[in-house]
Amino acid sequence: MSQETLFTIAGYGKFFITLFIFIMFYGYAYSIYKRQKTGEKDFEKYSNLVLNDSLDSTPLEPRYRKQDKND
Amino acid sequence: MFHWLEQRPFFFAVMLFLTVAFAGFIEIIPDFAKASQPVVGKKPSTILQLAGRQVYIKDSCNACHSQLIRPFKAETDRYGMYSLSGEYAYDRPFLWGSKRTGPDLHRVGNYRTTEWHENHMMDPAAVVPGSIMPKYPHMFTNLADIATAYANASTQKAVFGTPYDQKGMPKLGTWKEAKAQALADAKKIASEMKNQQVKDMVAAGKVPEIVALIAYLNSLK
Amino acid sequence: MQSNAQLEYDYSVVKLFTFATILFGIIGMTIGVIIAFQLAFPELSNLAGEYGTFSRLRPLHTNGVAFGFTLSGIFATWYYVGQRTLKMSLKESKFLMRVAKLHFWLYFITILLAVVTLISGYTTSKEYAELEWPLDLLVVVWWVLWGVAMFGMIGMRRERAIYVSIWYYMSSFLAIAMLYIFNNMEVPTIFWSGDAPSSIMHSISMYSGTNDALVQWWYGHNAVAFVFTTPIIGIIYYFLPKESGQPVFSYKLSVLAFWGLMFVYLWAGGHHLLYSTVPDWMQTMGSAMSVVLILPSWGSAINMLLTMKGEWQQLQTSPLIKFMILASTFYMLSTIEGPIQAIKSVNAIAHFTDWIPGHVHDGTLGWVGFMIIAGLYHMAPRMYKREIYSKKLMDTQFWLQTTGIVLYFTSMWIAGITQGMMWRAYDDYGSLLYSFIDTVEVLHPYYTLRGIGGLFYLTGFFMFAFNMYKTATSGRVLDKEPANASPMA
Repeated sequence: MSQETLFTIAGYGKFFITLFIFIMFYGYAYSIYKRQKTGEKDFEKYSNLVLNDSLDSTPLEPRYRKQDKND
Repeated sequence: MFHWLEQRPFFFAVMLFLTVAFAGFIEIIPDFAKASQPVVGKKPSTILQLAGRQVYIKDSCNACHSQLIRPFKAETDRYGMYSLSGEYAYDRPFLWGSKRTGPDLHRVGNYRTTEWHENHMMDPAAVVPGSIMPKYPHMFTNLADIATAYANASTQKAVFGTPYDQKGMPKLGTWKEAKAQALADAKKIASEMKNQQVKDMVAAGKVPEIVALIAYLNSLK
Repeated sequence: MQSNAQLEYDYSVVKLFTFATILFGIIGMTIGVIIAFQLAFPELSNLAGEYGTFSRLRPLHTNGVAFGFTLSGIFATWYYVGQRTLKMSLKESKFLMRVAKLHFWLYFITILLAVVTLISGYTTSKEYAELEWPLDLLVVVWWVLWGVAMFGMIGMRRERAIYVSIWYYMSSFLAIAMLYIFNNMEVPTIFWSGDAPSSIMHSISMYSGTNDALVQWWYGHNAVAFVFTTPIIGIIYYFLPKESGQPVFSYKLSVLAFWGLMFVYLWAGGHHLLYSTVPDWMQTMGSAMSVVLILPSWGSAINMLLTMKGEWQQLQTSPLIKFMILASTFYMLSTIEGPIQAIKSVNAIAHFTDWIPGHVHDGTLGWVGFMIIAGLYHMAPRMYKREIYSKKLMDTQFWLQTTGIVLYFTSMWIAGITQGMMWRAYDDYGSLLYSFIDTVEVLHPYYTLRGIGGLFYLTGFFMFAFNMYKTATSGRVLDKEPANASPMA
């Protein structure tokens, strides 16, 4: 394959990937905004992962309980 | 979809990795195809020159000297013709450097002589008043590692197909032949030097680092 | 498994890495100050024969601070932040505990060996990848161990959601693994030496010439990203909110900033498509969108500053907060400076000059150094269960080091631009105005000033080491763990 062809492929590749990432990224931004707005999910509460991090504090969103066989 | 990803460390990591990895490959691959062709007339280094290159690396000359002349008038006026990608085809590793605390050396062989290097490496400020380069007297007593230079060249030949032992190219041969050839080259350099100790060492079959380094610097054209 | 009430976090590995951070910090920065003065006073280069020249010491400095100081700081904070935000203790798993300990010892030995080999002249010459192949193999082993510890700890977590700091540590682990392996592809030459008695340490790069340079700077640029940027952002996302007691200004922004940075970083540094056959509008659009992606990547620094909203009085009362706020300011400074230097016409002047080390140092001294120091200070009362020994000393350290950084980068900016302009100056007859040595001699005052700046910073670091040592040994004993602001006497 000639070098010109490789450059062309890389160029188109770069363009479409950037476009894809661009859409994904702003799609994600919008989804976060919407989920917070509609109250489907509160993102801000995750700050408490830091403020409330002693080992005996209750987890914010506990994983499965220890007795379950899943974990 | 996004929420799902946020809580699954494995898939999250995969996604992260792909994101990070992809850009590099798409940018590097076309250049790879282009850059590996040597320019016409380019020869791989001889054993002695390679040993000198190893000295250059050992003492990190590349920390202060570049080997990359950019295509600006101010640089071509100062250092000579700008560098071409194909000139580096046999360089493993590359030695472009990233900082010019001292001047560029890519074509230093065109305008400096064995004698100049000999004096300069011993005491740079005596040759160039105001120079901040360290002195390298230890290069006049330390021995160059010709054996590793031979291993270096034969690895290049065996693994990467660097054209040693071909018509018009430097000869490698066996270790014994290569050693004899390197010593013969060293004698030529030493005959242009004035340091008696170095001359004696070479006459006794030993190659000090300075001789190899000068052979390498003279080959930079 | 024990119940939570009896369990505590285990800081033994954190303490080990804290020790390594301080030790390698002292070594790396001392060498840095020495080589800075060597450029101003070249006689200093020849005090220790071949082992004391600028050229031998320079790789030792870069490796010492990047892989000694910074990496141990990252590992120390990882084992601390990791346990706490995942709500798991290393005490809960004998296996992970062993992995973490082994990680530390192998790492420690590698860095010590690196010091010895680099000073003896065993180097591959590729910047920030100077270590020869036997050491590279060791690096891979402990990097994998870190990964095992990391994903093991994540697997044992009690908290379902993974805090954003952990994301940054993960990204750093993954990206460095890839970059390091590809850039250090090298062939040991001993296997083809025939009967020549060649050195076992020597290797040559798998790539040649321009290709080698491409891979090297793909690594070089991004290693900076994933050692000096992402993990440090992870550090600030934990320690600033924790120390100030404020929730992150916007967690949403922090999540977005994370992905923004991941998307953008690896694209930066690639200008290889400029002369290709791709239509012009497409190249332009591509660059434009990359620029739009940069905006969210800036989010982190702003997010941190806004976290302090309404709490700015803490800046007066706590030197620890000062360290962190100044660090994020320096982060913003060096991330705007970098792109400016990447503009083609600026780069023509700046490349190869002292502006580049200047840029690197306002990032590393201001951002990386300060964040790691702040993180260690915050952890000290929790690890040692003692009050920080001296607030006054910390405050003095802060001002001394800040002055040092300012001296450093201002002198290097001026030096770099002066030299860049002199290299390209012509007289009326069209010949070069200055010989190379003219452009070296003119830098003497700036090199001196830079050395003094470095000395200030180093002195501050010794104060830090002393303060930490006194905290661990003779600080007032605390009866319970402080919630937010670290107690200091």
